Amino acid sequence: MRSAPSYAGLSFEGQQKSALEVARNRLMVAVLLFFAAFAVMMVRTVELGLSTPEETQVAARHIVVPPVTFSRADIRDRNGEVLATNLESASLYANPQEIKDPHEAAVKLVSVLQDLSLADVEAKLSSGRHFVWLKRKLSPREKWQVNALGIPAFYFQREEERVYPHGRLAAHALGFVDVDGNGLGGVERYFNDRLADKTMTDQPIRLSLDTRVQYALTDELEAAMSAHQAIGAAGLVMDVNTGEVIAMVSLPDFDPNSIGGSAGKERFNRVTQGVYELGSTFKTFTFAAALDKGVATLNDGYDATKPLHIARFTIRDDHPKARYMSLPEIFAYSSNIGTAQMALDLGTERQQEFLSEIGLLQPSTIELPEVGAPLYPQTWRKVSTMTISYGHGIAVSPLQLASGISAMVNGGRLNAATVVENPDAWRTGKQVISQSTSRKIRQLLRLAVTKGTGGRADAVGYRIGGKTGTAEKAVAGGYDTRALISSFVGVYPMDDPRYVVFALLDEPRGTKETFGFRAGGWVAAPVVKNVVLRTAPLLGVAPKREDDGLYHQVAMMIEKD
Amino acid sequence: MRRLFTILAAITAILAGAAVLQLKLAVQERADEVKALANKIHADREAIRVLEAEWAYLTTPRSLQDKSIRFLALMPPTAEQILEEPTTIPFRPRGVEAEEDPGVLLPAKDREEKNLKPKREKGTSL
Repeated sequence: MRSAPSYAGLSFEGQQKSALEVARNRLMVAVLLFFAAFAVMMVRTVELGLSTPEETQVAARHIVVPPVTFSRADIRDRNGEVLATNLESASLYANPQEIKDPHEAAVKLVSVLQDLSLADVEAKLSSGRHFVWLKRKLSPREKWQVNALGIPAFYFQREEERVYPHGRLAAHALGFVDVDGNGLGGVERYFNDRLADKTMTDQPIRLSLDTRVQYALTDELEAAMSAHQAIGAAGLVMDVNTGEVIAMVSLPDFDPNSIGGSAGKERFNRVTQGVYELGSTFKTFTFAAALDKGVATLNDGYDATKPLHIARFTIRDDHPKARYMSLPEIFAYSSNIGTAQMALDLGTERQQEFLSEIGLLQPSTIELPEVGAPLYPQTWRKVSTMTISYGHGIAVSPLQLASGISAMVNGGRLNAATVVENPDAWRTGKQVISQSTSRKIRQLLRLAVTKGTGGRADAVGYRIGGKTGTAEKAVAGGYDTRALISSFVGVYPMDDPRYVVFALLDEPRGTKETFGFRAGGWVAAPVVKNVVLRTAPLLGVAPKREDDGLYHQVAMMIEKD
Repeated sequence: MRRLFTILAAITAILAGAAVLQLKLAVQERADEVKALANKIHADREAIRVLEAEWAYLTTPRSLQDKSIRFLALMPPTAEQILEEPTTIPFRPRGVEAEEDPGVLLPAKDREEKNLKPKREKGTSL
């Protein structure tokens, strides 16, 4: 501004001067405008700095936590306990091109991983290739030790390992996977696509099993199996109202973590795959059919004085009373003669229809690949009707039996057995017998324990009802009288049934404690009793004084002699 | 006057620039912190999976039973010990002393004996 007059005075005159003046004034306007704008911004900045904002404004920021991804979903039990999970592990490989002294490297490596053979490793390391696997699925400790060797040519590949933290527990229901993580048995195989579905690996499958009950059943069956030197055992706990399997045990069992060492015999699931002639437990179905169709009432009876002869067979009683017996007596004392006569009154067709309706003639629909088909005669003769009425001549899996028994006691609704948690399953049930027949069956089952052959299953306070079953094993050309299948199917509490407990021993031997007996009432019933005593508190069934009035009327009809 | 104004403007500009830079660095630092936290959360979640599996392994009912038999004086409950309704327990009469609680641990002597011979007792004693 100071130089302006001197310019004017020197050379610019008239119009030129005024043009310069105008330009300068315009510039000043622009400067002032800018200055004003900056002033506003400064004032605003000071104001922002001094004032305390009423609420802190945070820019919306998307924080991304990298998701934990695994290639296979977990399997959990009904309480959320981990049954199968994928954990990270490392596999060791090497680039032999980078190794200068294969022998030294091999010696070092074998000193850490002692299960590898020195010659093998050395051959691999001196092969001159670019890539050789050395060992798959190292434990974290092994990985650390290999790293500590400090050999630069060893590398790790991140891999996943399927881990079953409970080991052998529930191995048959869970199944197992191969080294690449494909399900090869049990739930792992049945739900393989679902478990490996990339979009659902963070959602575990919830099974209906309860780890605690599973263990109690395993423990008791193991004890009974070793006490009676049996070659195998099977057990099942099922919710009668939903068909959910709470525990499923098949012995001998295997460890799904190291599947390599197990034989086919151990992987065989006796509960779903094995079919057995289960003996007298079948009488429950014959009684239910006869009572439901009105063929007999609880006040009827049959003559069981002497064995029945039919074709080349003779039907005898294991606990012969040699007299006329009432229906409750036939059930409680497990009379084959009486039951066979009742089956004749029922008729072959109706028996067949009934057994088919409660799913004993079709393979179970449980979510496991290992399901055995029941065995029964192609042509159902009169003698078949009679023997099937007490469980001979028909072989079904323990699972089918438990489903059938559930339907007999829960008010007559048949639910498909399931290993997946499904508390709403009762909605899809199908009515197979009437409520009142179901009530009668409950009374009969309870009395078979209090007065009949199942006495050793009576767990004080838990109102168990049940039926023993003893059958000779079928061998080529007949039956082997020395080899028995002894079983017991129990239901509790009988006034409002909640759970079916089934135990089976394959070829048990008598002991001093059982006075040499090896029938279901002696060897399998105590297992059921112990399991109920151990698990009823876990399952929320409280012990209670029994209402004798429920059974009074039927009990009067059983004579002790 | 004009020079003073220019200097002031320059200083203001430099100060403002420095403040903005500082702010940017602070934000950067926070962002790094958030990222580190996110990574830590990820690592923790993976560790939780491992720990869950380990917990399941260590508390598998079989090992719990073994430890209970070895260290505890607890016995399986009988039906009489289980009550559905706590109100059915009567009040203690006046003047009656409660028995001393024996505790749940096995006496040290028994425990040593059992440790010497860790033979597993079967659950059938129930």
